[in-house]
Formats: sequence, C-alpha cells, structure tokens
Amino acid sequence: MGEITEFLTLMIPAMVPFLLAAQGTVLSGRAGVFNVSQEGLMVLGAAVGFLVSFKVGSNTVGLGAAFAIAALFGLVLAYMTTQLRLDQFVVGLALYFAALGAAGLLYREVIGVTMEPPLIPTLDDYPIPLLSKIPFLGEVLFDHDLVVYAAFLISAVIYWFMYKTRSGLAFRSIGENPKAADSLGINVTWARTWSTVVGSGLVGVAGAYLPMVYTGLYTEGMVAGRGWLVIALAFLGGWRPHLVVAGAAFLAGMEVLALRAQVAGIGIPHQFVLMLPYVATLLVMVFAFRWARQPAFLGRNYDRESRLVG
Amino acid sequence: MSETMTPAPPAAPAPPAARPTNRVVEALWLLVPYAVSVLLAFVVGGLIILAIGRDPMAAFESVLTTSFNTRFGTVETLHKWVPILLCAYAFAIPLATGKFNIGAEGQLLVGATGGVALGILWSDLPTIVLLPCVLIAGALGGALWSGIAAFLMVKFNVNEILSTVVLNFISFQLIDYVASHVWPDRGAGHPATVRVGDGALLPGIGEAPPFHSGVLITLVLVVAIAVFMRRTPTGFELRAVGANLRAAQVHGIKTSRLAGAGLVVGGAVAGLAGAIEVAGVHGKMLEGMQSNFLILGIIVGLMSRGSMLALPVVAFGIAVLEVGAGSMQRTAQVPVEMVLIIEALILLFLLLSDIVRAKIRGQ
Repeated sequence: MGEITEFLTLMIPAMVPFLLAAQGTVLSGRAGVFNVSQEGLMVLGAAVGFLVSFKVGSNTVGLGAAFAIAALFGLVLAYMTTQLRLDQFVVGLALYFAALGAAGLLYREVIGVTMEPPLIPTLDDYPIPLLSKIPFLGEVLFDHDLVVYAAFLISAVIYWFMYKTRSGLAFRSIGENPKAADSLGINVTWARTWSTVVGSGLVGVAGAYLPMVYTGLYTEGMVAGRGWLVIALAFLGGWRPHLVVAGAAFLAGMEVLALRAQVAGIGIPHQFVLMLPYVATLLVMVFAFRWARQPAFLGRNYDRESRLVG
Repeated sequence: MSETMTPAPPAAPAPPAARPTNRVVEALWLLVPYAVSVLLAFVVGGLIILAIGRDPMAAFESVLTTSFNTRFGTVETLHKWVPILLCAYAFAIPLATGKFNIGAEGQLLVGATGGVALGILWSDLPTIVLLPCVLIAGALGGALWSGIAAFLMVKFNVNEILSTVVLNFISFQLIDYVASHVWPDRGAGHPATVRVGDGALLPGIGEAPPFHSGVLITLVLVVAIAVFMRRTPTGFELRAVGANLRAAQVHGIKTSRLAGAGLVVGGAVAGLAGAIEVAGVHGKMLEGMQSNFLILGIIVGLMSRGSMLALPVVAFGIAVLEVGAGSMQRTAQVPVEMVLIIEALILLFLLLSDIVRAKIRGQ
C-alpha cells in the first residue's frame, strides 16, 4: 500500500466524528439555533455509546443510545431557547457542563474502578462489493465500517434536503429571517426543535464512534476538543453541508498527519506535532472569517410578538 | 433591570419609610431565585443519588460541611477559591464587553509556565525579588495567550469563542513539552517540572496547615477590580459596551479595541492564577494542574450575571461544593461528577427563574 493510499484510507474514518457532529451543528444552525454543547454531547455520546455497547454487546444499540441521550439534551436546548427564549449560548454551556458530569457519573457507576479497562469490539469493515475492487479508489473509499458510509450518506441527505427541496428552502429561511418565515406560515418553533434534536443526536453518535473505531476503549479525554473544532468547522464551511465535508477532510487530514508524524518520529518533539490540528484551525480561521458567511439569525431567539427583527 | 431602579419623581419625594422596604423587596427579588435554584438543584441531585442507590442526606452533609469541619478543609476551600475566582474574572471581564473567553485554562497554564520559568531560572534570588517576578510573569503569560485571541479578533474578525478554546488545546501540548523536555522532573512519574526556588514560593499564613498568601493577593484584586469597573473611565466604557454596543459606538467608544483589551486583561488574571498555583500550591508546574477551573470559572461567571461583586461570593460557594465533592465520594460513595451536575442544574434553574419572576411580577 502506497503512502498516499494509506494516508487517505486512515483519513476517511477520522473524518466521521467531525462530519457527523458538524452536520448536526449546521442543521440546527441553519434554523438559527447555535448549539455550543457539542464537546459535552460528544463526551456523553462516547460514554453512553461505550457503556451500552459493553453491557448489551451490540455496537449498533450503543450508537442508537448515544443518539437518544444527546437528542434528549437537544430537546432541552430547543425547548429552553424556542419556548422560553433563554440565551442560546448560556443554555448550551450549562448543558455542556451537565453532559460532562453525566458522562463521568455513568462511567463510574457502571464500570467503577477496575484493574483492566473494559473493551468493546471495534466496528467491522464492510467492503462494498464491486466498488471496493476498484484500484486505489476502492481501497480508500469503499472498504470501511458502516458508520463511515452512513456519515457521508447523512451529509448528502442534509445537503439534498436544504438545497434541493422546497421545504429545505423554507427551513433555511428561518435562520436568515424568522419573522419573514413565520409570516409565510412556516412553523419556526417546530423547525428549530426538530433540527436541534436531530442535530444533537448526530453529535452524540459522533462521540460514540470514537471508542468504537480505534481502540475499543473509553478514556476521559478521548474527545480532545473535537466538539469545539466542530463548531469552528461549521463556521469554516459557511454553514453549508457540502463545504463542511471538505473542512472535515482538512481537520481529519491534520489529525492523521500528526499521528503518523508522531509514529515516524521526525526529530520534532511530538507535542508540537500534536498541536498541528489546532494551530491549523486557528490559521484557517484567520482567512475563513473574512469570507465565510453565516445565517443572519444564528444564535438569536425568535419572539413572534416582538417588533424587533434584524 | 430598569424596574429595579424606581426613583420617586423629584417634585414629590417618596415617604422616608417607603425606600428601605422597597430595597428589601428588590433584594429579595434578587436573592430568592438564587436560594430556590440551589434548593431545586439539590432536590433533583438528591433524586439522582437515590436512583443510583446511595443516601442523598449523607452525600449532601459531606458536600456542605467538609469545608467548615476541619482547618484543613477550610484551607483547601480557600486554595480552590483563588483559581476558581480568578478564572471567573477571566470569563466575566471580557463578558462585560459581550465577548466570551472560554480559554481561561490555557491562559492559566501559560501563566504557570511563565511563573515556573522564572522560578527555576532565577531560583537563587530572595523572595522579595523573585516572587513578584514570578507573579508578574504569570500575568504576562496569560495576557500573551489571550492576546493572541484578541489580536485575531480585532485584526481578522476571528470569533473569540473558537480561538480561545483552540488555544487551550495548544497550551496542553506546550506545558507537556516544558514538563517533559525543558525542566523535567524524571522522578515524578507524571509530566512535571522540577521545583521552583524557595524565593518563588508564596509565604504561608496562620497555624499549620497554613493557607498561602495568594489568598490575600486575590482579596486585594477583588477590591481593585470592583473599583476599576465602577470608578474608572475605562471601567465605565467596558460596562457601556456590554450594556449597549451601538450606543457606546455612537458615543465614540472604540468598542473593538476595548473588547480586545477586555480579553487581554481577563487572560492576565487567569495567568496570575497559574502563577499563584505554582507559587502557592504545587511549587512546580505539572500536567493537569488546570483541574476543572475553566468550567467552574464559567459557571461562577454565568451565575453572577455580570455583577463583579457577586463573583467572589459565588466562587466561594462553588469552592465549598468542590472541596465537598471529594469527601462525598469517600464517605457516601457518590461519584464527584454529581457536584458538576448539581452546579449545571443551579445554573439552569437560575435561568428559568427569570421567566418565573417575570410571570409573577406580571410583565
């Protein structure tokens, strides 16, 4: 296997957590709900996904449970911001703390202190018949676990929904001008609620994927700021699902590069290599915030009785 | 906010008795939501503890009393109060201009790096020279770190939430490098630097176990920040920008530069916390010394709702909970994370109380 093939083959699964969580963020963001609890939801998703898989013996059930618990947090966020119109950022932070606490509590309660950390089986690869036989492309793209295919499929579906359907157009208008959307008979509260619930669920799945793909272990710091990078990614991609895919490839590429450089031992202390994804994000943001646009009503609550809009 | 100040019309001054009762009523409107939120959070927390089959009363007893039962507990609480409060300032000062600093732990760590560097390099110097240098280096380190975010924000319009968070993760690697390559303590079994010189240590106060004099420095800082925010033109401008950005702009306040300055000052305070941790608690820098001060600082900052006077009090309450958390895990077998959940619940209930209060007062 060539160096490039190997790099790309590793990069595709590394994209998955970024991709799922960022698409979830974009989904609710386009309706105007700025979720900032991603880091917490990913940690909670990782813990719940791991624990349920460990106890039930099925990674699929684990992924489902992670979706459910994170979606529940999303429901709280949606209710508090649409019905009660509390500050999105503050509620998001509170949920981030609560999710971190819940993750730690659950792991300690279910596993406790053990000599040997428990393991779950990692996800199996499902090479797609025929397609995986294509030289180079087959190896890179079509020989992964099912969540990888699902992540790309979900990205495509969200893109299709937002840009190719009439209801998607209506949906996007909410994030730009909810008052105008409301006057056209679009149900702002409902759209914000379902998109936040589904979006948060995807963030939870993104977290649950982490223990299932690399080591089969759950460790406390395993999310390592990906939840925050995801928010950066949503901004970098201009809150557009297709550009987010490119951004996820960039972040995952940096991550794989850092890991491989560390393994190869290239004279530079590994700490500086591990900084790479974060430094790269910081640099890209310098350029991105000049051109990337965002939904005009992102992070702002809508009160239909208020006369102030825009 | 505006209804809290209801001055009587100048022509007909209010009867003298009316004002004090008014104040009491207003104070109650302010304090009761806090009390109810804390109570409700403990009730919900208690239900969770019941659900996992432990005794909530035993758990809460050790959470709430550990700080006051022994001198050791009290000292521990004061030592936690310092970094929690300083990280809360690091969050609240930029927030006064409407900017969110989620980078206090990075700023704390870089501040600690600055402090530990001087403490090791100049370890022969006497306390009177070295200690101020260590503390100043800490503040400068923190200011440098948040200064990067401030620069990116003012020059390139980079969202400060994201830049401050991302800088945290860079700082983790930075201190790991310093602790394992620059001044490593090979015998520590955990990435840590060698100890700083004796002159870099904050003197202890009181009988054994003493608390470090960083507590006094923090008290001075509390007064200084309150005076700065209330009594200086810059403080006034800071508050004006936070209260109404557009109005402040129209009145000629350079809002973007001020927001940048707010971030830098916040970072300096967090950096000072790092230096105090080095000089007062650890005597060296070690990985993980940032603990969960970032989160606690944000919680304190959000709970205080923009009041610089409430910060020290709320921070003390959180310090009590945090010190109690460890003993709760030992005596009642309830995991420490329970306390974080309770803190998040207090915050959520506090937010909800606004709505309830508005309903009751019939707005």
